[in-house]
Amino acid sequence: MNSMTTEQIRALIARGKMKDTIFQALGIICLAIGLLVIFLLVGDMLIRGLERLNLDFFFQYASRRAAQSGILSAWVGSLLVMLVTAVAAVPLGVAAGIYLEEYARRNWVTDIIEINITNLAAVPSIVYGLLALGIFVYAFGFGQSILSAGLTLALLILPIVIVATREAIRAIPAMIREGSMAVGATRWQTCRYHIIPYSMPGILTGVIIGLARAIGETAPIITIGALTFIAFLPPVPFTATGVDGATAGLFDWVMSPFTVMPIQIFNWTSRPDPAFEANAAAAGFVLMGMVLSMNGLAIWLRYRMRKNIKW
Amino acid sequence: MQIQENPALKAEARNLSFFYGNTQALKGINMPIHDKKVTALIGPSGCGKSTYLRSFNRMHDLYPGNRYEGEIRFFPDNTNLLSPEVDPIEVRMRIGMVFQKPNPFPKTIYENVAYGLRVRGERNKRTLDDKVEHALRGAAIWDEVKDRLQDLAPNLSGGQQQRLCIARALATDPELLLFDEPTSALDPIATGAIEELVHELKKRVTILIVTHNMQQAARVSDYTAYMYLGEMIEFGKTDEIFLKPNDKRTEDYITGRMG
Amino acid sequence: MMTESHHVSSRFDEDLARLRTQVLQMGGLVETQVAAAIDAYSSGEVGSVKAIVDGDRRVNELEKAIDDDCAHIIAKRQPTASDLRLVLGVSKIVTDLERAGDETKKIAKGVRRIYENGHLPGQFGPGVQHLAEAALNLVRQALDSFARLDTGQATQVIRLDDDVDVEFKSIIRQLITHMMEDPRTITTSIDIITIARAIERIGDHAKNISEQVIYIVEGRDIRHIKEAAK
Repeated sequence: MNSMTTEQIRALIARGKMKDTIFQALGIICLAIGLLVIFLLVGDMLIRGLERLNLDFFFQYASRRAAQSGILSAWVGSLLVMLVTAVAAVPLGVAAGIYLEEYARRNWVTDIIEINITNLAAVPSIVYGLLALGIFVYAFGFGQSILSAGLTLALLILPIVIVATREAIRAIPAMIREGSMAVGATRWQTCRYHIIPYSMPGILTGVIIGLARAIGETAPIITIGALTFIAFLPPVPFTATGVDGATAGLFDWVMSPFTVMPIQIFNWTSRPDPAFEANAAAAGFVLMGMVLSMNGLAIWLRYRMRKNIKW
Repeated sequence: MQIQENPALKAEARNLSFFYGNTQALKGINMPIHDKKVTALIGPSGCGKSTYLRSFNRMHDLYPGNRYEGEIRFFPDNTNLLSPEVDPIEVRMRIGMVFQKPNPFPKTIYENVAYGLRVRGERNKRTLDDKVEHALRGAAIWDEVKDRLQDLAPNLSGGQQQRLCIARALATDPELLLFDEPTSALDPIATGAIEELVHELKKRVTILIVTHNMQQAARVSDYTAYMYLGEMIEFGKTDEIFLKPNDKRTEDYITGRMG
Repeated sequence: MMTESHHVSSRFDEDLARLRTQVLQMGGLVETQVAAAIDAYSSGEVGSVKAIVDGDRRVNELEKAIDDDCAHIIAKRQPTASDLRLVLGVSKIVTDLERAGDETKKIAKGVRRIYENGHLPGQFGPGVQHLAEAALNLVRQALDSFARLDTGQATQVIRLDDDVDVEFKSIIRQLITHMMEDPRTITTSIDIITIARAIERIGDHAKNISEQVIYIVEGRDIRHIKEAAK
């Protein structure tokens, strides 16, 4: 039956395996280059910033003296901006994604919407900054506040959230949806009991990855005019504010001026005094840590929630 | 053709055609569904038997570009299931369905069965408990799951999952139960259990079952319809179809001959 | 109604074809046996009786083999419709063939007894001879109708069997007259009645085979219809 001898077959396999080995080696080299660059960057930052990485660094405001400068206002500002971003982007993005997947009929209108969402994700972030400057800062009068920054970044990550939501919904098998509809459920009942809970891990992952991107954004925040030097924190609700002694309202902080991590870093790197370079490196390392831990959280959440969802 | 309600009929397709866009998938089907009997639909892949089955609970309405012509009359109230005035959700509340692959929700066993009741607004815990138990008993799975109602349904075996899906459909007391190749993903033992169950169920519910397993059709059904290329070729008592079909195409199909 | 189209499984085709061939083989053997028995009756060749008895053993073996094949086909192929009717029909046909074989053996043994008692059956002869040929003809035609699945011929066999029955009754009446006239003929007459009875039974078996042919082809069970009508 077989026209080849055993030797020929073995030679053929050997040739095939040779190519396997070559490609494998090539792949490992490429991977190593990427990893090496990241390790070098992180390592370099760590070495240069190590002297500044102590607890005080986290609890001091920026100062004119490099050795006494800290990132307190920056990390608090970043967290608060992220909070506003998440609160604004998640409901909007999830609702839009659900609508597009579960309700919208497939026609040219939805096609155009789809293309636009994809394009939105590719718009340079500075353009969002310009848009926000016009709308949030001046037209709505939010000023150069945490609210403006949060909403700007929310716009920036909205496409990511929408796409993540849609992907998560698409991963739900049609038979689950049909199973629900077949017992007489409405579309909303199906979304409420099935689509939203089952797509939650995917949506959360998308949200966190979007936030991780937003936390590193500098350009739009600068555009709307975040301050680079802030030596105070936004007012904590129901405490006396420093300025006139009045009690702060629950949401007063959103209108407060602020700074964020990337701006603080940018500020330090542009100082003529080389001593600030260590500060910048240390802050960069902290920012890196924030992003990585957010991604880690996303992976962990997905793993935890997916355990109970299988079909 | 009988126009008046026939007490022996649960439903009747009258000149039913169905289109996916411009493709005609069903061609003028006329067929009675007898009350409290099992009717099997057989035919080669792509003959339209599943399409026909899914017309009964308007599953095609979930996807755009689908169109029905003709009627499916549902008795005793003589409703036309396909009428645009009839809400598909109303239809699905009266007609249950069991799918080809077991599709329990990734929720607890209890919630799977209670779902249809919750959708209908039932909140009373006692009522829910009673109906869930009743449905699980009806689907012959109560003894296997009564001690672990809070376990996740997808952890059950394939055969148990399918019986759970039957319980889910039974919980809301459907008048007609549609089975779309319910055992194609199951092993012979689990298949036997489902077939036995179908036989039990016909005491209280009318059943329409699509199967590509002819022996299964022969075993479980009272009436059999042979479909080919979107047409109903032959409908008759199962005993007669499997011993003495009238149409040569039916004969060729059930004896396993090439056309 | 045996379709020309083939099964998707060609081995199923082969199984069914072999089944039919075997039935025809068995039928041919029974036919030969009957012919040999008639020959022995008319010629007095008692020597062939042993050959007939041996031949019947072969008939019995074929019956078992074919029945076994039927069981295997049902178990492995789950035949339906015409295939199922063929297998069921064959299983009954072989029973009738085997019984016809038994009747043949009875004829042969009867012939031997008559000759051993020093009599010639010929003196009561032509009636039985004619009856036997008619029965043989029925067997032949029944097997033909099976080979060709020809319901017309099968129907004819069923009709002709009535003639055989009538003829048998007239022979019995004749023999009774003989026996009343001359009691010395009683022993032989009883043997001849046994033979005629066997021949008449062979005709009945041929009729049963034809009824199965009609069932196989048309799915119509026409057994006992006339009896019920009476």
